[in-house]
Amino acid sequence: MGFALHEAKTLAEATMLARDLGPDAMFIAGGTDLIIQINRRVNTPRDVIDLSRIAGLSGISHAGGVFRIGALTKHKTVETYPAFGFGTPYAGLREAARVVGGHQIRNQGTVGGNLANASPAADLIPPLLALDAELDLVGPSGTRTLPLNAFFLGPRRSVRAHDEIITEVRFRDLPPLSAIAFLKAGRRKAMEISIISVAARLTLEADGRCRDARIALGAAAPTPIRAREAEALLEGGVPDEGVVAMSARAALTSVSPIDDVRASSEYRRLLVAALVPRALKICIDRIKSARS
Amino acid sequence: MLDDADDKPCALSRRGFLGGASAAGAALPLVAEAATKPRTGRSVAAPDARAPAQVTLRVNGTDHPLSLDTRTTLLDALREKVGLTGSKKGCDHGQCGACTVHVDGKRVLSCLTLAVMVADKPVTTIEGLARPDGRLHPMQQAFIDRDAFQCGYCTPGQIMSAIACINEGHAKTHSDIREYMSGNLCRCAAYPNIVAAVKQARDVKEG
Repeated sequence: MGFALHEAKTLAEATMLARDLGPDAMFIAGGTDLIIQINRRVNTPRDVIDLSRIAGLSGISHAGGVFRIGALTKHKTVETYPAFGFGTPYAGLREAARVVGGHQIRNQGTVGGNLANASPAADLIPPLLALDAELDLVGPSGTRTLPLNAFFLGPRRSVRAHDEIITEVRFRDLPPLSAIAFLKAGRRKAMEISIISVAARLTLEADGRCRDARIALGAAAPTPIRAREAEALLEGGVPDEGVVAMSARAALTSVSPIDDVRASSEYRRLLVAALVPRALKICIDRIKSARS
Repeated sequence: MLDDADDKPCALSRRGFLGGASAAGAALPLVAEAATKPRTGRSVAAPDARAPAQVTLRVNGTDHPLSLDTRTTLLDALREKVGLTGSKKGCDHGQCGACTVHVDGKRVLSCLTLAVMVADKPVTTIEGLARPDGRLHPMQQAFIDRDAFQCGYCTPGQIMSAIACINEGHAKTHSDIREYMSGNLCRCAAYPNIVAAVKQARDVKEG
């Protein structure tokens, strides 16, 4: 049986519709995840609420030291946003956005959808975690703000109530001497689901010591996670080769990867151990080259 | 296959079908209007989910009023309802690019697009590229000239992506073309010839 499609023109309309229609109603924006779930009967919604025409939820802005990414922003927009370009401290965001599906999918899929779908392998999530992003959820009874790392509960499960809509994800400007890098391992370069993804972000002091470190991992646990032990090892010291290697070993204490058709748990652990130091090294190189 | 309410096989020839469809377009009420009528939260009764949706797809400049199960993808609507079978179903879940079409001038995957969500947007398929007199689009000609396919199954999607690739300004270098054509797989691995075809069409366009 098909579903009834409801076109919401405003956020208030969409949340009210969702509240009244109940948990069998689902939101659709780009549709690149939901359509597959409907085709495979993973989801059989009775009602689908189309968010794609709601004004004001699309686009990236930068003001007052904060980057705001509207939930309906397409991956392609993140990929091509000049302030996230190569040579900027935010290049890791572009690196993640440009490996979400293929070019066609990036013209369709939205940032809000990527978050709401809550896949442990979602490519945009690790860099946003590494940027300490927070998001707004709007429901029939108001707005709540939460840090992105408090959003995910498990594979495809989040704290979002069925009638709540992600409206924006945002993060503060990075301090000087910062950089973020993103690496993804898959069987091929394009159109591939991550076997492991790593986002690293470093902020250094003028004397080379590490002021702030973030390491976020995708497809390494039931949700995208931060490797906090690894971060703690880096902070306060000079991130030389020995410290970076120690931090990569510490990252393994945070992961609990699965065996599946794409890779074994053991191989995923090897990838974490290999990619964490590589991502940290890229951050260090980027900070150095921006400085010189 | 979706259990479409109106599941007639498409036995008409393309020319005959298009003629019939445009005549029907004049007679039927503009069904898309109902779908875009503003709704306000609670006051709206949910339409019956079993009832097919009435939508008009604008494909290659022609309006096609259709009665569709809401789950119908744009790809299925094009192939099974409109009778345009040029867009191919490779994987049906966004990993091959064979179903690539242009919606509102942007390349998208028609297998990951709900037909009911693009009712008011212009759709261009491989069938809409050649001129009415039969002259091929420069990209189609380039694919023939450069032998840019073997089995040909991925070719319509490759061509739709290749045109977008040039329009987006990403066909300047060899590596750019390879990167920006990476959303389309070719199991025959005709990639070198596909890149050559994109270059040829780009130069025709620029020249």
